[in-house]
Amino acid sequence: MHRLRTIAAAGALALAFGGAAAAETKIELYFPVPVEGKLASEMRNLMERFNAEHPEIDVTAVYTGSYDETNIKTRAAIKAGRPPAAVIMSANFILEYQINGEIEPLDPLIEASGETPDAWMGRFWPALHGNARFADHVWAAPFHNSTPLVYYNKAHFAEAGLDPEDAPDTWQELVDAAKALTKRDGDRVTRYGFMLPGNYDYLGWIMTALAMSNGGLYYNPDFGGEVYYDQPSMLGALTFVEDLIEKHKVTPAGVTDGKAVSTAFFAGDASMVILSTGSLSFIRENMKEPYGVTFVPRNVRNAVAIGGASLMMPKGLTEEQKAASWTLMNWLTSPEISGHWSRFTGYFAPNREAYDLPEMKTFLAANPDAQVALDQLAYARSWFATFNTVAVRKALEDEVQAVMSDKIQPAEALKAAQAKADEIMAPYVAQTALKLPQ
Amino acid sequence: MTEATAEAAERAAPQAPTARMPLGWLLLAPSLVFLLAFTYWPMAQSLAQSLRIETFGTDAISWGFGNFGRLFDDASFRRAAVNTGIYAAGTIVPAIVLALALAVGLEAATRFNALLRSVVFFPVLLPLVAAAALFLFVFLPGIGLLDYHLAMIGADRTNWLGDPDVALWSLIALTVWKNAGYYMLFFLAGLQAVPHDLHEAARLEGAGAWGRFRRVTLPLLGPTLAFVSVIALINAVIQVDHVVVLTKGGPSDSTNLVLFYIYQQAHENYDYGKAAAATVISLAALLALSALSLRTLERGAHYES
Repeated sequence: MHRLRTIAAAGALALAFGGAAAAETKIELYFPVPVEGKLASEMRNLMERFNAEHPEIDVTAVYTGSYDETNIKTRAAIKAGRPPAAVIMSANFILEYQINGEIEPLDPLIEASGETPDAWMGRFWPALHGNARFADHVWAAPFHNSTPLVYYNKAHFAEAGLDPEDAPDTWQELVDAAKALTKRDGDRVTRYGFMLPGNYDYLGWIMTALAMSNGGLYYNPDFGGEVYYDQPSMLGALTFVEDLIEKHKVTPAGVTDGKAVSTAFFAGDASMVILSTGSLSFIRENMKEPYGVTFVPRNVRNAVAIGGASLMMPKGLTEEQKAASWTLMNWLTSPEISGHWSRFTGYFAPNREAYDLPEMKTFLAANPDAQVALDQLAYARSWFATFNTVAVRKALEDEVQAVMSDKIQPAEALKAAQAKADEIMAPYVAQTALKLPQ
Repeated sequence: MTEATAEAAERAAPQAPTARMPLGWLLLAPSLVFLLAFTYWPMAQSLAQSLRIETFGTDAISWGFGNFGRLFDDASFRRAAVNTGIYAAGTIVPAIVLALALAVGLEAATRFNALLRSVVFFPVLLPLVAAAALFLFVFLPGIGLLDYHLAMIGADRTNWLGDPDVALWSLIALTVWKNAGYYMLFFLAGLQAVPHDLHEAARLEGAGAWGRFRRVTLPLLGPTLAFVSVIALINAVIQVDHVVVLTKGGPSDSTNLVLFYIYQQAHENYDYGKAAAATVISLAALLALSALSLRTLERGAHYES
């Protein structure tokens, strides 16, 4: 009898455990790897840790390529009716998911965990709020973020008679330094003073930083149907780029890919470069000569746009998946994980509390470049996001590339870019700002 | 008895082809299913999508040729179409000439030739994506492999992928490097079929090397040439891996090819109508060109059997 009871208890226990195992919620996380470095393997490590700490959830991390590819794959999965539970999405694509009604607002989940949206958003740096919270709801949780940053070769500075500890703060100082740093052999340039990435995506972001440093906004942060391409702030920024190439001859003509820019910096072929803070770890590991970092120089004011990615939750999930995804989002943006990922990648941690942890304080003390990147956040603004963001961005980039290759003058280029962008956004504008009472 | 029935069956068979039809369909079925599901059905869908006109923010759908109108009005499409033409001509002709020269040059089966053939064939083994990733560093201005060696002979740095006047030609050079070895293989096989005695006869008649190539080898390679031309044409339209890896169509659309343009319309602009219209146009062009090139080249080809 006694024995029988033991067996029964064991059976019940087995059933209970079996039940628990069956109730384990399986979800997928789509993640991109946008910058150089070993991000994919580290993401796998993180997911193993999450799964070990959360036996009731089983997350599979699915590597989905670049930001743009992740966007395409997420859309395809949503169309196919099998959305991933969470996606690390380029922060400026969130708006399109909201416009298309394909994204779950996070407010109900925030409130269900006993917080207010204000309190929950409060943990993130203010510069990150614009791309995550708009149209009266919270749509995304900032995961890793960046700003453009100027990296400069200190050895070249010393060699050119410049003070390696006094980096350029203004456009004028940048041009002066670049002239001193550029080396020529007759008409041939053997070392460029300044390089900037001109490939699609990167170029749009750099032009945003330059237009913003020139007092501009680039786009209307409150309405996805307006960009400010044909404006004095952008004209000044584009003419500045043209002058660096054609007048001052301190920057190579044509398009230089972001990867080519970092390679040129490592090889000593460029003395100053503008690249993402997300490349900090990559540069720290590969740069042989001493280097420094500094803010994007200003003409009118210090201002840059944020970059990076946020966690979002597509529509079409079950309640269990939503709950599991919400747990994952909060875990990934917790101070500890946020700080760990930041130290690993070079992105800054969106969660401000990450910087109160002792590991982070030690890290910043040892890596002053990361501190500079963080300090620039005080001047950071939202990243451009419009209806059809990529196409609207490309409308400007194509024209800027033509200016960089001396095919067209800045004023003419910006008129063309504005016309193209307006044409792309027209269907959205017709349904919103130009939809008037009948 | 068996002979008689066999004969009878043979005689009967042509009279009743329908009796064998089910078996024929059955044997065809496996490939037909895949062809229908993955080739003809998507083609039909593209055609339907290209005629479907949707308006943002409404559920209204109408049908017509509006997508084609917008497509031809798009300067980017016209640019991509012209680029594809230049790219096709620029890759097909040099790659075939080079492949033919290599095949004739390396025809004799010596050990040294075998080594050279492997060397020439090597790029074929490399996936185009990997080759493109390598060439990013070959093409680096100033510090890349190409500029490094060109600087030794005094050349200035060239922005191979970032200068809109040069970028497409860089991609063309990469493609010729990648494909010539592949086409060489077909020509080597074709050369095996050229009868030796014809060469002997020509030599006795006093024909020089060029004369023998011009009058004997080339005409007999007609079918191979026709085949390789069609393959090369199709490759020029369907290979865009290097565009994706190296330039994304830039700078300023100077390396945009039609297939990448279709990708951009579908996945960056979410303009499926325009993407489908461009697909239909390129499919039609491809079919017409294949039919034309096969027919004209085969007409001039001498088949030996």
